[in-house]
Amino acid sequence: MKTKKLVFTAILTALALVAFSIEAAIPPITPIYGIKLGIANVFTLFALYTLGPYEAAAVLFVRITLGSIFTGQAVSFIYSLSGGLLSFILMLILKRFFQKDKVWVLSVLCAIAHNVGQIIAAVIITQTFQIAFYLPVLLISGIIAGAFTGLCVQFTLLHLKRFVN
Amino acid sequence: MKNRFWIIIFSAVLIISAGLWILISNLSLSANIVGIYQNNRLIKKIDLNSVTEPYEITISGEAGKNIVQVSNGHIKMKSAQCPDKICVNHGELISNTSPIVCLPNKIVIKFENSSENIDVKTGVK
Ligand SMILES: [Zn+2]
Repeated sequence: MKTKKLVFTAILTALALVAFSIEAAIPPITPIYGIKLGIANVFTLFALYTLGPYEAAAVLFVRITLGSIFTGQAVSFIYSLSGGLLSFILMLILKRFFQKDKVWVLSVLCAIAHNVGQIIAAVIITQTFQIAFYLPVLLISGIIAGAFTGLCVQFTLLHLKRFVN
Repeated sequence: MKNRFWIIIFSAVLIISAGLWILISNLSLSANIVGIYQNNRLIKKIDLNSVTEPYEITISGEAGKNIVQVSNGHIKMKSAQCPDKICVNHGELISNTSPIVCLPNKIVIKFENSSENIDVKTGVK
């Protein structure tokens, strides 16, 4: 059983890394921070609901570390890590309230929190309050992206019932 | 709680955000005085209307070099060595509510209210 979990965690981490690398290679569609689908989150969420919190943490943090190295974004490593840590803590807290049929809600709430957190960080780092005007756009993109990734996980959980249990 | 409850909540946030977004873009203004900041410090102030010949400004930061292009009435990040290129994709600076930001190099380009500290002849601080 332990080996099976380990193998599943490794597979999910590898998939998350592939999704992350592909998404990082696509040039940003919009000039604003935080507007992306975050497909890599699908695998973190999936690990959280099928394997457990420790395995999900492994998937997330190995992906962030290796992803920063592979894509050469060492400068943004600290931002990604702190952002990832905060959204993971939120994910763990919210998971108590949202079962497998409400993954999309948890996903949307996490995406919103992530984008709002990113805006606050950018305002503090640059001391430029005008960045806060991007907030409505980031809320909209957070809801759409969060619902998309959450529904991906939800449908997968529904159809993979035989495999994950 | 039911799915319907959350759909209503998120739809409401979507509609309010869209409204705010439209409001912000309608209330935003353009100006001719531009400030270039790095690490929260003003490094250059330019009056875009008094620029006669287009020129470039090179700014170095942790994530490499950024090249700002200035011409009469226009300013944009021409190229950057930062990993995300969000500053370059921003295009020209058009309103006071959408500053050009390069987070990796901590550079902000935005419109300013006052024209103090500007050399009248060259339009450069
Ligand atoms: Zn940049």
